[in-house]
Amino acid sequence: MLTDRPKTQLGALYRARNNIIPPPPDYMRSPFVSSTSIRDLFAFGLTVAGLFWLIQRGSEQLGYNWHWRQIPRYFFTLADGHFVAGPLLKGLVVTLEITAMSLVLAGVIGLVTALLRLSSSMVGRWMARVYLELIRNTPLLVQIFFLYFVMAPIFDIGRTATAVLALSLFEGAYASEIFRAGIESIGRGQWEASHSLGLSRYHTYRRIILPQAVRRILPPLTSQAVSLIKDSALVSTIAVYDLTMEGRTIIAETFLTFEIWFLVAAIYLALTLTLSALASGLERRFPRIA
Amino acid sequence: MERETSTHSIGDEVIIIADHLVKTFPGPIKALDDFSVRVKRGEVMVLIGPSGSGKSTFLRCLNGLEAIDSGAIVIDGIPLDDNENNRLAIRREVGMVFQSFNLFPHLSVLENINLAQCLVRKKSKEKATETTKALLNKVGVGEKMHSYPDDLSGGQQQRVAIARALALRPKVMLFDEATSALDPEMIGEVLDVMRTLAEEGMTMVVVSHEMGFAREVSDRVVFMDAGRIVEEGATEDFFLQPVQERTREFLRQIL
Repeated sequence: MLTDRPKTQLGALYRARNNIIPPPPDYMRSPFVSSTSIRDLFAFGLTVAGLFWLIQRGSEQLGYNWHWRQIPRYFFTLADGHFVAGPLLKGLVVTLEITAMSLVLAGVIGLVTALLRLSSSMVGRWMARVYLELIRNTPLLVQIFFLYFVMAPIFDIGRTATAVLALSLFEGAYASEIFRAGIESIGRGQWEASHSLGLSRYHTYRRIILPQAVRRILPPLTSQAVSLIKDSALVSTIAVYDLTMEGRTIIAETFLTFEIWFLVAAIYLALTLTLSALASGLERRFPRIA
Repeated sequence: MERETSTHSIGDEVIIIADHLVKTFPGPIKALDDFSVRVKRGEVMVLIGPSGSGKSTFLRCLNGLEAIDSGAIVIDGIPLDDNENNRLAIRREVGMVFQSFNLFPHLSVLENINLAQCLVRKKSKEKATETTKALLNKVGVGEKMHSYPDDLSGGQQQRVAIARALALRPKVMLFDEATSALDPEMIGEVLDVMRTLAEEGMTMVVVSHEMGFAREVSDRVVFMDAGRIVEEGATEDFFLQPVQERTREFLRQIL
């Protein structure tokens, strides 16, 4: 008997989605929704239809004139067959540059801070702790302003460098806690086996502990990278011409508020989803470690 | 008296000196209480005793996994002290096998055994692989060279762990309840490997509950309780004519 063969296309679709986001094991299931697939889909359809109706009614009352046709040229134009990047594309490149540099720097800061926290040096442990508490307990926006208006003139660093520094310091603090949790999650036996083989502390970390820890912390590390991309929008406040800043500039000139913000949000979404997909691909490539 | 139980020979040279060891854990629990013992080159010494008597702690102190509060440890002429180089030197000469195997799960069997050869003994990858192959054949898991630890049975994992420890050509091997975490049908294959090592003249300090193995392979048995030696003696004497009442009681319980 082929009892679980999909009877309808809808049923097949439902099962396919179910595999992408698997349901929790039975004992963990929340009381929130208990239903068959048909009821589940019906409720979902109703919610979407309701939302759509609300938006439709709201925008009609607002009397907003949509001008989607004007949007592509802010992305790129073709002049005499030549590709000319528009402000949004330029902004995207700046955002990518800033996040890429911050990602590397935040990773280094995070790992070094975690290793300082776990070192035998009291000064090192305290430095790491003070840095962590300062960064985690003040707003990122204030940190950006502090670096830009106070530290940048003193040390004579540029706008982009300030932005990268602020983002790296902020995300690095969170990354360090992720690294530390990953390192501490490796069982004592692994350390002892490594030590008993005469491996130095450096080799123990480099060859035994970190490879295992990094695999375990890849999911939270990815979330942190996604946060970094999103938080990078804040550097537009110190006039770094990133994606958000370019968007604001276009809106100031054209009043295409809805279209541009929709587009900017969609670009960020595309960026973060790509990153998440890359990370889960990476996870699948390595054999799973318990 | 002629020894019937073991087939290997013991030299006169002392290779492990442990003098007046004291180790206290928070509690405070005295895991080692003025514990002294000497082991000769080629000797197989089995430590027995109730759980919490300090057997494993002693083993772990011997290669510096656990720091002693006071006392002295010298292995093959190298003192185990605060000097990091001495500690690493001792660890190169002392192999250890754990109850829970502790293979590196992210490395293949081959890489598990090659790693320390390349990093600690500075061997080339080719040379290391040669040694690894020979060792894996010796412990009988030659065909598993490219497997990962999680794909092996407990007995196979422990035999790989023994091969990994042997890869550094240690002068002393420590076995910390090496068969306690194994299913009964796999204990034999691990004990066989240990027996072969003993016959080849390896100096071994073994914490074990396998009395059959102790009787057959060891030269000396030390019975510990509360961090002290209650009784020690040549294996045959120890099992046939234990002197202390505490020893007799313990042997009655486990035999």
